[in-house]
Amino acid sequence: MPLHEFDCSKVIPERKQHAVVKGREEDLTSCLPKGYLNTIPGSISERGCAYCGAKHVIGTPMKDVIHISHGPVGCTYDTWQTKRYLSDNNNFQLKYTFASDVKEKHIVFGADKLLKSNIIDAFKAFPDIKRMTVYQTCATALIGDDIEAICDDVMEEMPDVDIFVCNSPGFAGPSQSAGHHKINIAWVNNKVGTVEPEITSDYVINYVGEYNIQGDQEIMQDYFKRMGIQILSTFTGNGSYDDLRGMHRAHLNVLECARSAEYICDELRARYGIPRMDIDGFGFKALAGSLKKIGLFFGIEDRAQAIIDEEVARWQPELDWYKERLKGKKLCLWPGGSKLWHWAHTLEEDLGIRIVSVYTKFGHQGDMEKGISRCSEGALAIDDPNELETLEVMEKLKPDLILTGKRPGEVAKKVRVPYLNAHAYHNGPYKGFEGWVRFARDIYNAIYSPLHQLAFTDISKDDFATDKGFMTRRMISDVDLDDEVKNNTELREYTGGFDSVSKLHDREYPEFESQSAPAAAE
Amino acid sequence: MSCQLKVKERDGVINPIFTCQPAGAQFASIGVKDCIGIVHGGQGCVMFVRLLISQHFKESFEIASSSVHEDGAVFGATNRVEEAVDVLLSRYPDVKVIPIITTCSTEIIGDDIDGVINKLEDELLAEKFAGREVHLVPVHTPSFVGSMISGYDVAVLAFVKKFAKKSEPTDKINVITGWVNPGDVTEIKSILKDMDIDATVLFEIESFDAPIMPTGNSVGHGETTIQDLQGTANAKGTIVLNRYEGGKAATFLEKKFKVPSVVSQTPIGIRNTDSFVHNLKEMTGKPIPESLVYKRGVALDAIADISHMFLAEKRVAIYGAPDMVIGLAEFCLDLEMKPVLLLLGDDNGGYAKDPRIKALQENVDYDMEIVTNADFWELENRIKNEGLELDLILGHSKGRFISMEYNIPMVRVGFPTFDRAGLYNYPIVGYGGAKWLAEQMANALFTDMEYKKNKEWLLNVW
Repeated sequence: MPLHEFDCSKVIPERKQHAVVKGREEDLTSCLPKGYLNTIPGSISERGCAYCGAKHVIGTPMKDVIHISHGPVGCTYDTWQTKRYLSDNNNFQLKYTFASDVKEKHIVFGADKLLKSNIIDAFKAFPDIKRMTVYQTCATALIGDDIEAICDDVMEEMPDVDIFVCNSPGFAGPSQSAGHHKINIAWVNNKVGTVEPEITSDYVINYVGEYNIQGDQEIMQDYFKRMGIQILSTFTGNGSYDDLRGMHRAHLNVLECARSAEYICDELRARYGIPRMDIDGFGFKALAGSLKKIGLFFGIEDRAQAIIDEEVARWQPELDWYKERLKGKKLCLWPGGSKLWHWAHTLEEDLGIRIVSVYTKFGHQGDMEKGISRCSEGALAIDDPNELETLEVMEKLKPDLILTGKRPGEVAKKVRVPYLNAHAYHNGPYKGFEGWVRFARDIYNAIYSPLHQLAFTDISKDDFATDKGFMTRRMISDVDLDDEVKNNTELREYTGGFDSVSKLHDREYPEFESQSAPAAAE
Repeated sequence: MSCQLKVKERDGVINPIFTCQPAGAQFASIGVKDCIGIVHGGQGCVMFVRLLISQHFKESFEIASSSVHEDGAVFGATNRVEEAVDVLLSRYPDVKVIPIITTCSTEIIGDDIDGVINKLEDELLAEKFAGREVHLVPVHTPSFVGSMISGYDVAVLAFVKKFAKKSEPTDKINVITGWVNPGDVTEIKSILKDMDIDATVLFEIESFDAPIMPTGNSVGHGETTIQDLQGTANAKGTIVLNRYEGGKAATFLEKKFKVPSVVSQTPIGIRNTDSFVHNLKEMTGKPIPESLVYKRGVALDAIADISHMFLAEKRVAIYGAPDMVIGLAEFCLDLEMKPVLLLLGDDNGGYAKDPRIKALQENVDYDMEIVTNADFWELENRIKNEGLELDLILGHSKGRFISMEYNIPMVRVGFPTFDRAGLYNYPIVGYGGAKWLAEQMANALFTDMEYKKNKEWLLNVW
């Protein structure tokens, strides 16, 4: 077994089971690291808690909902304004967060009355919002408040509101992943099937495991609409509470982040017979394949192909401009969960980048299975990494870039490795064809930052050039490039603007004649 | 015409101003050298606080978790602390100090942290780590009590209690900065240097703004050593810049070791800085030097150009850490501005007795409200639904949406200020801080005048 032992982790022998190097002709059964086990205390793992998995990752992107956490104020504060999930509801879900603010007296005497008055006050403060999610936290799980009963009470008194309860305290599982699971199941158990949606197309999907980071959902929604597909709901980015109550009427669940949302797809398949289709919204080849797959399912491949042709014609020359300059660069792909397999092969295929390491903070062995199978020989795969291990990897592998979170990005900066935010993106969205070019542009800008080079110069010891007042990125990236590529007039840098999403809001979509639901279209 | 002190009437919080106690303890812990804290609770209690701190400083700091999972919540999780201490010590050879910081969950399940520490000292430290200097410090910070502010206060007390040791008296004084920025520490140190005062600046974070070096891994860390903490018992006196962020430790040193303490006016603004240097003089016998007269004069000179011409009458709302909010309000009054709403984000019963708040209540000659246990809705609701008119907001970045939504200019101040670059470099305390603050406020108003084309021509000839 090609297990990898970190020098810094020799003192915790069980860590050896959590990292592997993908060897030549390795079979997945022998090179899978262990995953999704309890965290080793004191290892300075990067994992979060089950509360944040439920509330912060999946719950809060819902746009027309008062998100209230039942507990002390910290959980709410800490998970507020640390994400970039947008919505077309004036970003209500980003701007407002609510906490019952449990204090010592409530721990002793119970916090049920407190929660009730909170719920009512919150609805009063925002009279246009009629939907709410209440999230349990460690404290209120331990004191045992019956949140459901309180919410039922309120719903009886206020018949126009609807409340969803999510019991996923922080300690409930090894990582945020447990919270993903809990909120998936709670939603399908309690809310799906309680609203009958209006069906306006022959082709109806739920778009699942998509959180509208910097507008990803809106980009993909644009493709679906151009194909004449009705998006019944998005779980949950830019998603509407009542739309998500009608998930049971979709013909297909189109699933992006299987790590966080496969549970609800599997339940919808078991309970309502809705098939699940896993797709990739990232990368030219992967996205084109995904759109074709959806087209094939509905018998509208021509519509998918038309979009692919148009988008590829528009954006391929720009992607290739970057590909020529990024080929062979070494990259550590260190996201939370699903992006390790969403991005591993797409970065290699579309941009010629070599993935030298993948890690997952909260992924399961299934994610590693997918991720390792999608990256090349020699890649180091790490489950639940910790700070010292990541430093050791950067020291040894000397990557040109790492894709990771904000804080680990600061760690990388200090050892002179540039980073891009894998969770919130730098200048996204990164989904869609244009988005993938934006991603390539961001990678290029990070790697070829003229100042980045200067970070390696020790002005007290080294000889260094003093003949230049500046360098451009191209003066660095094009040094060894063939003249043929350099002078290629077909290829060009990214030409989209700062904001690639807003332009979609005014877009008009083709009307496709419906075969089966003509009346419902009205 | 009155200044009213009131507690927020609603239960619960719509957009919190503060996070909870363990965050404050974690912030204090990274001010200590060779120290990595272990937060005893769920992983989110650490992961998000580390993120928050890194958002503010654009740096990463090491704090560990005991990673309490479901079994621990049910059966008790002290074994997780034992394992965490072992793992941490085994992998970080330089670590000497480990505060064990509790959270809501582990306080509710009643894990006996002090007992575990005794056990670890008797067993793990005595056996596996014999000969190595290691100190375990219990820090009780249940999240349902107080706020990040009291968490800092509690942790500072816990560290001082653990280490302070009476030996030979020294000429040094203790300066407890509270939860400030590197820029503030630099300013305070420069005042101390000007006055030729030998001081121990505690929980000292000046080097948090760490560089990228051509080789190695240069990370920011606290500068306060075990010796610094031990020596606090032998100092001539203790000066606390923020009474709610270090006051407890000063009181402890006074009671236990007879180290006299001065809970200074928070040195925000010229007048409060005057009091601060006066207190330094009283405590050390060192005169106030000409250099400070000069620096004070430079600040007054800058402020004279902006205060009565541009800042006077401007209506301000201020929120955040209590000492900072009070200090800013006092300075605004000196600048002829009108702080009309002060929001203190927790329910500390001491606020009503705070002499500075009493002075505001007695002397303010227009309508001012001070709301305790406040959230951001106390601000937004007044603007949106009750006709509160404001010219300026002073506070941290979590309130940014109010400024944007209602087109009110805002000066970022306090913690965290993640949506502006580099603010941690600049002081808000001392004469330098007074100058910088006044100029920031003026520039924010100027930009707003230009953006809204509201008498922007005033600046043609300034």
